[in-house]
Amino acid sequence: MAKQSFTLNVNGKDHRVRVEPDEPLLWVLRDNLRLTGSKFGCGVGICGACSVLIDGVARRSCCIQVANVSQGQKIITIEGLGTLENLLPLQKAFVDYTAFCCGFCTPGMIITATALLARNPSPSREEIIQAMDHNLCRCGSYINIIEAIESFVKDQRGEKSE
Amino acid sequence: MSVSRRQFLKAMGGAGLLYAVRFAPGSEPQDKTYDVFPMDIDDDECVAAILDIDYSEWIVLGPDGKVSIFTGRTELGQGLKTVLAAVVTQGLEIPQGKLTIVQGDTELCPDDGPTTGSSATKYVGWGYWIACEKIRADLISRASRSLGIPVSELHYRNGGVGRKGTRNVLKGAFELGSGQVVKLSVDPRASSSNDKTYVDLGIPNVNAKKIVTGKLKYVGDLYIPGVLYAGWLSQPYHPKQTVLKSTDLSAARAIPGVKMVEVIGGRVAVVAERYNDVLKSLDAVNAEWSVPQRSEILQLEEESRSRAELFEVKEQEGNVDAGLAVSDLVVSETYTTQYTTQAPMETDTAIARMEDGGKRATVWASSQHPHRAREIVSKFLGIPESSIQVIGMPLGGGFGGKTSNPVTMEAAGLARFVEAPVKLIYSRKDQFQLRGRFKAACVIDLTTGVSANGKMMARKIDIIHDMGFGTTNTYTIPHTLTNVYHADWPFKRAVSRGTSFVQTCFAVESHVDMVAAALGIDPLEFRRNNVRFQAFVSLLDVCAEMIGYYNSQQGPNSGVGMAIVNHGGSQLGAVAAEVKVNPSTGKVTVKKICGAFDIGTVINRNTATVGIRGAITWGIGYALYEEIILNGHRTETEDLMAYHIPRFSDIPPVEIAFLDNYQPGSPRGCGEMPVIPTIGAIANAVYRAIGVRFYSTPITPEKVKKALQGA
Ligand code: FES
Ligand code: FES
Repeated sequence: MAKQSFTLNVNGKDHRVRVEPDEPLLWVLRDNLRLTGSKFGCGVGICGACSVLIDGVARRSCCIQVANVSQGQKIITIEGLGTLENLLPLQKAFVDYTAFCCGFCTPGMIITATALLARNPSPSREEIIQAMDHNLCRCGSYINIIEAIESFVKDQRGEKSE
Repeated sequence: MSVSRRQFLKAMGGAGLLYAVRFAPGSEPQDKTYDVFPMDIDDDECVAAILDIDYSEWIVLGPDGKVSIFTGRTELGQGLKTVLAAVVTQGLEIPQGKLTIVQGDTELCPDDGPTTGSSATKYVGWGYWIACEKIRADLISRASRSLGIPVSELHYRNGGVGRKGTRNVLKGAFELGSGQVVKLSVDPRASSSNDKTYVDLGIPNVNAKKIVTGKLKYVGDLYIPGVLYAGWLSQPYHPKQTVLKSTDLSAARAIPGVKMVEVIGGRVAVVAERYNDVLKSLDAVNAEWSVPQRSEILQLEEESRSRAELFEVKEQEGNVDAGLAVSDLVVSETYTTQYTTQAPMETDTAIARMEDGGKRATVWASSQHPHRAREIVSKFLGIPESSIQVIGMPLGGGFGGKTSNPVTMEAAGLARFVEAPVKLIYSRKDQFQLRGRFKAACVIDLTTGVSANGKMMARKIDIIHDMGFGTTNTYTIPHTLTNVYHADWPFKRAVSRGTSFVQTCFAVESHVDMVAAALGIDPLEFRRNNVRFQAFVSLLDVCAEMIGYYNSQQGPNSGVGMAIVNHGGSQLGAVAAEVKVNPSTGKVTVKKICGAFDIGTVINRNTATVGIRGAITWGIGYALYEEIILNGHRTETEDLMAYHIPRFSDIPPVEIAFLDNYQPGSPRGCGEMPVIPTIGAIANAVYRAIGVRFYSTPITPEKVKKALQGA
């Protein structure tokens, strides 16, 4: 398959890449744009480690061919959320609640939770579990992840956590 | 090579005062050998290597109060770096910003053995705490000599030595011995004489901000100029049972971007520009494999028995036959367990680059033991270890599966072949098939004799296992005998979180409940009457209280079960599980887990808690879901759909208690032990819920449905 040019809007900027049209978005983000926060965990859409936001919806970048990203769609990766110096409140909650061990699943978890909170700012525990259930964490940090999301929700509502 | 030790120390601003720390030999517990048993290369050789590991760690006190520590152990997510940072900043009273921790680089760090989750905290963290104590004492005596002030009038504070009662530092640590090397022998079993309470700071993981912003670099996230991707063709049968008969590689070679398609060591390898090219090329390979002869794997129990050879006699006390003869009641049962695998989220990955016309190599690895990786790369390439640098990156999970690291050697071999740096990433299927290293399935026969008043008199255990095993010394029994048999299976074997105590503990703790049932005694009462250590009574009572053992009004098909473990003599735990069984679907839902643990000093409550919860998650997976399903010689479970690792919806509320009357002493780690009793607790809860005993794990809906329909 011959290489073609594509323009991808990632983290607020347009990027021009030349790749084969059937390249998974994950590898374009990683290899061409060096945005390595999105991880390869399975390559077949099961684990969620590669999750990115496309127009605000959490999608598995390992299963999206670059040719199927439409012009104008806005892609946000973990690098497009807070920075080291300036974490977003949800990222801060993940830190405060030690919502990881090895951290390999974490970018995908944060992306998926971000999408959930955008469509449902005040999810119940059941709703969190349902929305996150296809993101896998082998270290088993699940409870801490739920606690982090719940504390974020409480803070947003202006309630004091604890 | 990137940066040599000398260059690094120079960059630190001079050699400084170097303390080489040697952890006392023999301070590793028995179970350690099982923890780290690397299976791939040559078992005997690995065990020998483990036994003469030199537990050296380095602490360098540099100018301007800077401290660097060098450890060969890597970051697995167990929070080692966090623990070390907490211990050393407190132990030497220096701010976080002055501390540099260098991990897992064979060029910079000493070989201090394989990294296993609990041992890292157990030995390394506490070893450093004791080492800091010795360093302070050494600096005080150095200052005393150089200042002519008696030791009794000096104290250590804030990175230097000063006169007691003053706040000034008279001599900084660096000035007291720059350029010198001091050897310290440290026994990580020792208790601390520091009057400061130990280090439960609840400090956040030092990598935390990098993790949540996607900035922490794992090995796959590195880009070496000119690097190519590589992959192996997966095999239809288990690697040890099949050979490649013929291949047609022409279509695979015609894929754009492909640099190499070859049969190497009986397997088909592809190297290409992009990862996607590798996948496409592998898809286009035409290969024919030999079909294995015997379909032995289907009859696990029968096959195990027919192959079993006595390997070791353990736990021999009294006379077990005589004990059974005088018992009022004797119960005999057989339990079996399944094959499982580690399945870390980061598949095995390595980058290799040949340098200097093939005379040197640098390998970036996701490894629990970078020095071991260097050894196998050296053997494979036939160049000396001194010409190879392995840089251990943080791991996206290891769980015992990344100790011997064949992926590093394969990447190096491919890099040499194509004369370019190579990034080899195992696919998820490779992780199940090509790699195919499974935690052993077991057959366990148990016979226990008890007196009419509920005291254990005698117990005989026969374990058929295909590798090392652990027993759990939990009960007082006058007459015991444990025979360990080996049955050689055609798989490569491996350990995983929880070690081989997992299988034994499931069987023993299920059996204990069945003996109690035969006696008509409540299983909790029965345990309280027979446990070996008083601490177990407290742990059981705390668990019973948390789960509401006595007062719970469980509905139909619901039940509570308990189990205990003694992990290597230093970690005790009790777990209670509440389950509900759906009789029409057969699904077992865990409603709640409560765990009480005596794990000594808790260095960091945050990492300890997330570690224990994670371990309980593993216990749930092992008890209910995880199983490598073998169909003839094929592994049917080759993705994370078929191999069900626990997910959010599988995890109940978990309550954890630490035994609060612990003695101050060395911390003992906790990322593995809670896996073990969780399994027996769930099995016992299922028995209480529906009155059916499951003699094999995992307790799947199919097994439950079948049992209920048969009943
Ligand atoms: S890597 Fe995309 S879902 Fe697993
Ligand atoms: S934190 Fe390791 S996989 Fe989730």
